[in-house]
Amino acid sequence: MATIEITNVSLTYRVLKNKTGSLKELFRDVLHRKVRVQNYVALKDVSFTVDSGEVIAIIGKNGAGKSTLLKILAQVLPPTTGKAKVSGSIAPMIELGAGFHSEMTGAENVLFYSTLMGRDMNRTKSRTQAIGEWAGVSDHMDFPLRTFSSGMVARLAFAAATDETADVLLIDEVLSVGDADFQLKSSARMAELISKGAAVVLVSHDMTAVRKLAQKAIWLENGVVKMSGPTEQVVAAYEKQ
Amino acid sequence: MKHLQLIRLLVGRELTLRYKRSVIGIGWTLLNPMLTSFVLWVVFSFVFAGKLPDGQQYAPYLMAGIVLNSFFNQGLMISAESIASNSGVLTKIYVPPQIFPISVALAGLVNFFIGLIPLAIVVYISGQSLALTFPLVIIVGFFLALLVAGLGLSLSLLFIRFDDTKNIVGVTLLILTYLTPVFYPISVLSDRMQNIVKLNPLTSYLDCFRWAFSNNSVATLNDWLYMGATGIFAILFGTYMFRKFWPRTVAML
Repeated sequence: MATIEITNVSLTYRVLKNKTGSLKELFRDVLHRKVRVQNYVALKDVSFTVDSGEVIAIIGKNGAGKSTLLKILAQVLPPTTGKAKVSGSIAPMIELGAGFHSEMTGAENVLFYSTLMGRDMNRTKSRTQAIGEWAGVSDHMDFPLRTFSSGMVARLAFAAATDETADVLLIDEVLSVGDADFQLKSSARMAELISKGAAVVLVSHDMTAVRKLAQKAIWLENGVVKMSGPTEQVVAAYEKQ
Repeated sequence: MKHLQLIRLLVGRELTLRYKRSVIGIGWTLLNPMLTSFVLWVVFSFVFAGKLPDGQQYAPYLMAGIVLNSFFNQGLMISAESIASNSGVLTKIYVPPQIFPISVALAGLVNFFIGLIPLAIVVYISGQSLALTFPLVIIVGFFLALLVAGLGLSLSLLFIRFDDTKNIVGVTLLILTYLTPVFYPISVLSDRMQNIVKLNPLTSYLDCFRWAFSNNSVATLNDWLYMGATGIFAILFGTYMFRKFWPRTVAML
């Protein structure tokens, strides 16, 4: 049994046509019978599987449905039809630092973020100092996050997110962060995490990284799988068009 | 349950963040109800103090009203906003979204219990003493937390969908505050108004609270039943609505 099984997944957003943002407007439009619902298809009939230890890349232009697919994999968004089965713990590395608060200290943020990701609070507590050190901000861990530079925040978020691995890694363009030195360090750590045997789904526009890391690739266009197969073939076809 | 750890962190965050930059920090939780009550006491004690039945004191009567009312008003507003304000997290990491409004209600409950300390002080200053029934206040707090969480859960969906819900709820809460005997004794109202005010479940919560804490009101069995029923109904309704409409709402975040 594969770790990730996506079967005939479709996702349709229901959008009210007149874009009513308020109850008042909706009420008015209902009275005038002007409410029309429009369906916007973000994903249509997508199927694939990912085994443990396998890295699959999802490529495609902006708006092709990559982020929507990642949200479905992260179990954040339920598919309209079809099944998205993901077994084991999920580490969503999507926009690192979600939930960081500028008034909380570095250590508090690391603890909160890790707990959000489903990790054990007590274990994170004992890891906080090490995480700060790895990110190069160990002197600042007891100060509010607003005193951090944006680079420091990014490094801390990366260090916290990658401190533990999971059965499923969902990676959205966060293969490396920070300045040149830290980029080397972080991409090495990412490669290490990926090679640890998790099922990995990687969304990236960086074709060099995709070629290097992924065995399979899926090319999405307008919510439909245009091509899937071995990375080399799919990327070559994608780059040619 | 591993979500308990997250709830613990969220409650702590809710309690400390509001006063993070202030000097006395969480001390404001103690000071706030006292200051608000003092201002209202200065304004209203001339009008209403003599209208209370014998043995009841206006200062603790008023302050009990403020403490309970701000638990409900603030708790409801923040808990209804909590889903929208945490959308950044909810669209990226899977956590049961209900955790956010529920944590806000729990933080409100903790605040409520902290507020009992200055209230007790005011009770003694006015020459009263705590009633033997005062542990029953825990039950009042528990049902009010259920009410806040339940209404917060249902409203949070509307808050995401419609921008103006917040204003509508704000005005409704203001009306509701005046329809609760927070700073006036219910006896000053006409019979017809009294019946309307008694329909408001918060009146029952407040009567139970004042009676249990220091005998500053009369609470009938009906008040207790009305309180329990509305609290339980609210949480059941809220969780049901949330489960039903969340899949559609999350796509709008």
